[in-house]
Amino acid sequence: MSIDAASFSRRQLFRSALGFPALAAAALTNPLAPRQPHFKATAKNVIFLFMHGGPSHLETFDPKPELNRLHGKPVPASFGKVQLQFSKFEEQPIIGCRRTFSRYGQSGMEISDLFPHTARHADKLAVIRSMYHDGFTHTAALNFLNNGWPRLGRPSLGSWVVYGLGSECDNLPAFVVLLEGGIKCGPPAYSAGFLPAVYQGTTLRNGPAPILNLKPPPGMTGADQRDLLDSLRWFNERHAGQHPAQSALEARIASYELAFRMQAAAPDLADISKETKATRDLYGLDNGTTADFGGRCLMARRLVERGVRFVQVWSGSTTGGGDWDGHKQCDANHKKMAGKTDQPVAALLADLESRGLLDSTLVIWGGEFGRTPTSDGGLNGGGDPEGRDHNPYGFTLWMAGGGVKGGRVIGRTDEIGLRAIEDPVHVHDFHATILSLLGMDHTRLTYPFQGRDFRLTDVHGDTALFDKLRA
Amino acid sequence: MASVRYALVAVVAATLHADVPALIQAQCGGCHGGSAKMSGLDASSRAALLQGGSRGPAVVPGRSADSLLYQAIARTGDLKMPPGKKALSAADVKAVKEWIDQGAPWQAGAADAAAREAATWWSFRKPVKTKPPHDRANPVDAFLDTAAPAAPRQALIRRLSYDLHGLPPDPAEVEAFANDTDPGAYTKLVNRMLESPRYGERWGRMWLDIVRYADTGGYETDHYFANAWRYRDYVIRSFNSDKPYDVFVKEQIAADEIWPDDFDLDGSYVLPKSKEENLERRLGTALYTLGAMPVEFSFFGEQFRAEWQAEAVDMTGAAFLGLSLGCARCHDHKFDPISQRDYYRLSAIFAGSEDREIPITSQMRIFEYTRHQTRQVIADQLREQYKHLRPGDKDARETLLRKIGDAYVKAPEMYEKANLLVHRVPVPDTYVLGGGDWQRRGEKVEPGFPAALGAGPAIAEPVGTAWFIPRRRKALAEWIASPDHPLTARVMVNRVWQGHFGEGLVATPNDFGRQGEKPSNPELLDWLAVELMEHGWSLKHLHRVILESKAYRSTRDPMRLDADSLRDAVLAAAGALNTKMFGPPVAVRLSEDERDGMRDMSQWPVHPDAREHDRRSVYLFVKRSFRLPMMETFDAPDSSQSCARREVSTVAPQALTLMNSEWMVEQAERFAARIESSKDPVEAAWRIAFGRAPSAEERGKAREVASRHGLPRLCLLIFNMSEFVYVD
Repeated sequence: MSIDAASFSRRQLFRSALGFPALAAAALTNPLAPRQPHFKATAKNVIFLFMHGGPSHLETFDPKPELNRLHGKPVPASFGKVQLQFSKFEEQPIIGCRRTFSRYGQSGMEISDLFPHTARHADKLAVIRSMYHDGFTHTAALNFLNNGWPRLGRPSLGSWVVYGLGSECDNLPAFVVLLEGGIKCGPPAYSAGFLPAVYQGTTLRNGPAPILNLKPPPGMTGADQRDLLDSLRWFNERHAGQHPAQSALEARIASYELAFRMQAAAPDLADISKETKATRDLYGLDNGTTADFGGRCLMARRLVERGVRFVQVWSGSTTGGGDWDGHKQCDANHKKMAGKTDQPVAALLADLESRGLLDSTLVIWGGEFGRTPTSDGGLNGGGDPEGRDHNPYGFTLWMAGGGVKGGRVIGRTDEIGLRAIEDPVHVHDFHATILSLLGMDHTRLTYPFQGRDFRLTDVHGDTALFDKLRA
Repeated sequence: MASVRYALVAVVAATLHADVPALIQAQCGGCHGGSAKMSGLDASSRAALLQGGSRGPAVVPGRSADSLLYQAIARTGDLKMPPGKKALSAADVKAVKEWIDQGAPWQAGAADAAAREAATWWSFRKPVKTKPPHDRANPVDAFLDTAAPAAPRQALIRRLSYDLHGLPPDPAEVEAFANDTDPGAYTKLVNRMLESPRYGERWGRMWLDIVRYADTGGYETDHYFANAWRYRDYVIRSFNSDKPYDVFVKEQIAADEIWPDDFDLDGSYVLPKSKEENLERRLGTALYTLGAMPVEFSFFGEQFRAEWQAEAVDMTGAAFLGLSLGCARCHDHKFDPISQRDYYRLSAIFAGSEDREIPITSQMRIFEYTRHQTRQVIADQLREQYKHLRPGDKDARETLLRKIGDAYVKAPEMYEKANLLVHRVPVPDTYVLGGGDWQRRGEKVEPGFPAALGAGPAIAEPVGTAWFIPRRRKALAEWIASPDHPLTARVMVNRVWQGHFGEGLVATPNDFGRQGEKPSNPELLDWLAVELMEHGWSLKHLHRVILESKAYRSTRDPMRLDADSLRDAVLAAAGALNTKMFGPPVAVRLSEDERDGMRDMSQWPVHPDAREHDRRSVYLFVKRSFRLPMMETFDAPDSSQSCARREVSTVAPQALTLMNSEWMVEQAERFAARIESSKDPVEAAWRIAFGRAPSAEERGKAREVASRHGLPRLCLLIFNMSEFVYVD
């Protein structure tokens, strides 16, 4: 089935069932059946490493020596004004950057000393320094990055991807979310919005029962459960037999078999005892600082290996452990967060590469926005003079693998890193590009809702970035 | 002479390239038209094109080569339009070139013609009753000549019970109905079920979906709406009392303006009945206080108001008119005859209104609270002391805690309050906002109604008087709830139909516009709409007409229970359903696993009384940033916007939920305890769950399961059976 056929709503499918029962039945039986993209894809899977809170581009991938020169001084009037959440931009002084940037790889890309491990893979990275949008609060920005829209109600990027391409894994969810804890925008970041629920992200927990309700009830053995499921099937098939026109009943029977396969597959997925010592060391699993995020990065690789289409790995949470929201002591905050994540991120890139998975897996790193060149509140207000406020007007994300040519920097922010000024990439363009890498035309991946065909990219989106990434 | 020649050319051109103005509108209008005039260019009229924008005139009649418009679309110079890769087709470019060379004739009135055409759209004309094609006693059957055989009685009562109550019928009731030979038995059953309070809970839930009901505001703050439940209860009471639908509409939009109650001191001691009634009506206006509001990125009063007014207009369009007005917030509606100006005229109706928490009780009750507020002072002082306790001082801590508890219990109970619409004066002006952006003010507009839907009542407001109360929403309410409005009755009839048949006569219940589906049986829809209005807008009458039809009573494909009904049905079968009605929302216990993704567990105040956890789903806490996992898995709406029809998905996590979740296992045990002492537990289980006796084969299989795995496991299996989850 092509994506265009898939873009029919369920409503249409139900009604068309009168005329085209086969199509309707196929869609109802397995809405996750793998589908051909619009054109030849370079990436099959996506791993999105989401840095919750908004990492500073200025301390990481976008060096601005001018900041140190202007440290403590007001922003030159020529930069104009921007709206921020907590501080008054025009009243705050610029604060310098304490990081040291060095050149890495054949490309000589500049990366700060926060990421010594990741920096070794500089030639795999396409660093986009000119990301922008206008959602200057966490939820607006998180929704923007994840759902292409600052408000609630739209399907997430992962949901659109799975809706478009289906799944190549018949015993695990197609869209998996690996959380560190609570996130500021909550589950809408991986919800299916108005798409059918089958496309929503499934959160996977650490430990032996990674999926909700995956373990049979206490006291029920595997054999018991199989026996019960066989009996259930007997009843359900009789019932379905009495209603041959209602194909959802067959789909329902199939869903119990998939659930059973998931139960069987998940413990194997979670069981990392067969991973080598070298792999454990690579991800830093035996180091208290890196073990948590490292475990999720390793899980991401194991999921992609099993054909899971879209994996999102979160760093940072609202429920302990902190996040990248550097309002206070931005530099110290980032040192801590980078310490937890740098080695695992590098490990993931190396591991995917050595297993031949990097070519087909698009890895994305970034958060919901960058941070301001100015202080979060030095001269007035309760902010911290060494903190940085949210900056959606210019920030950095990077991509690697999945057909992206690495060792390059795309776009530029102004001298103080406030706004994207060269080759600006809006979130919509970023999304359009991800879909393009997956072989989908963002203008054709649509779903009818409330009287119009909706897209991930709304009525926007430009794929100039796509061309640059592959050139 | 020259002018004559020019006119002649123009006439010829009009026949050759009459469609070019429309082409320009379509291709350029998005950025150069309406309020969005990028580079100062407005492409919506010939005069504006000739005037041009910041780069100079766009069109020089007769000289395509000198016209910026042509240069841009032909991409001959620096300026390349439309932006991006997509150039116009060569044929379109040629047409524009010839059109300019022929003097750029612009057929006046083309837009008017479009508006006239739109005004003839089926749903914008008043419904009328027509003579049905068949001669049948029931009007529905007179329009739909149903060939399907009648459903068996046991199936019929189960269907009816889920449709009207969202619950399975009591086995004794099934038995009685199956054996009732009275020809009026079915009618009696329908009437009895319509009179049950369970009816309002079921149909109230349907309405709450439509109005995106929730107990929190969503987004990062996801703040608690402490009084939202009063609106939920108002809705349930309204359905139960068969409040005429037009009154229901009027109350929600403008009860405070139509039935004002707050300008007298009558009721200081005991509220007089009339005032109590008016306060009840006013609870309806809480509809406009429940939206998902991004407070954290609406810092400025004006910005927040712009967001709030937009939400109010969108809500009104979706719920009462079945129209997606939201499109017109940023630009003229592309498909329906709603201009951006129309949108802001509607928005201006809400300009004098705002959400405020107000007491909804007698003065005496408030005095009683304030008189004893001194006790609250003590509680607060003790709490302050507690905060400054030295760590380790265990005895002092315990003593203080006891005192605080004591003081808290003695502190006066807060009087009843609700968040309702109130007025603010002076009423702020309303402007057309470019791209919906509150900072891009365009033309100032006065409140009014979309022309294509027929003129509404005059909005006459006294100016400059001291006691001036806006009457804008009253006008809106009376316009919508009028028998002359083409949409109101049709939209509601369609919702009721969908509630009984799974799909509406119009398959897009919130979109009766051009993008929506046309009705499958327009005559029937109109007949029912007029019937509803002729019978005092009584929804129960409408239910009766539909439910009495052969069409409803025939066999059909089974339909899956929605999330609420499924949870309630499980509780009912387990004999555990707590039918207590109304009151603050209940947060139920979550399993360890289910707490994943919750931002902060303190925002999920689990009710200390476990019996409360067995209440009907409509009374559960609806948190916008966290849906109850079971409800989410079974397609409960996310409450971010109006949900006119729930999805019906079939996914593996549903199987995992029903087979493995702690909650299901617990209910299965309760179900087993309920039936284990029966003479024949399998028979009892079947009658409770399916409203019928098991066949011999089923009985045998079920006994086998029970003997191998125990009765609770058989009960768990029953909850997982398609026959339990689907209704014939």
